[in-house]
Amino acid sequence: MNRLQHIRGHLLADKNMNIATTPPSPLTTHVLNTAQGVPGVNMTISLHRLNPISSEWYLLTTGKTNDDGRCPGLITKENFIAGVYKMCFETGKYWDALGETCFYPYVEVIFTISDSSQKYHVPLLLSRFSYSTYRGS
Amino acid sequence: MYSRFIAMGSSAKSSSPITTHVLNTGDGVPAARMALSLHRLDPRMAIWNLLTIGNTDEDGRCPGLITSDAFTPGLYKVRFETGQYWESLGQSSFYPYVEIVFSVSDADQSCHVPLLVSRYSYSTYRGS
Repeated sequence: MNRLQHIRGHLLADKNMNIATTPPSPLTTHVLNTAQGVPGVNMTISLHRLNPISSEWYLLTTGKTNDDGRCPGLITKENFIAGVYKMCFETGKYWDALGETCFYPYVEVIFTISDSSQKYHVPLLLSRFSYSTYRGS
Repeated sequence: MYSRFIAMGSSAKSSSPITTHVLNTGDGVPAARMALSLHRLDPRMAIWNLLTIGNTDEDGRCPGLITSDAFTPGLYKVRFETGQYWESLGQSSFYPYVEIVFSVSDADQSCHVPLLVSRYSYSTYRGS
């Protein structure tokens, strides 16, 4: 084996290993700006879980959508237990950053996870005066 | 002051500046007898004040949500008891309830806040 191959062997110990080895979040989102036909980029979102005993929301994660309107790493498999969750999208601030007003200062989508072994996709299709969401895959 | 009004009947049908219309898009029918409530944010206390509770009628509407006098600029919230609705139809749903928070800047304009809902999706828009 020549020297380059030897070095390569050290650097790529496992050719299947990626830089980010975190398993994907079982809960994902995707924000789309349907008014402009683009992903909803740089929108602040937060994920919360309801404490059924105190009826209070517990903040799990905050993040911003990336250039594709997605926010990877919302929750780990271990933390993803059955329960009631809330995803909060800062839609007012998003449109404000684009120099526009929005009918909705924020959007909260509350949903029930009954089977935490499944994957759940909670997208938001948004314009200044409308929005929709659905359980996707 | 905390006050609670039950949504009024036909005499107030045309007068509420906030209206809603709930449609069950899964079955292609109005969502009848869905409980809902209207709230307004108290910006100083940062709490929601309950203004009205009611149920949608056979056409999925709920007349009399608010009077013109009570309709001032601010943040409002309509909470739709969608989970209970689907349960009464013997079905489960992804959403235990739906809350739509919206901003009213001009109280001279009326605000139509419909909800199109199925077991696994919903949408809303500012209508007329």
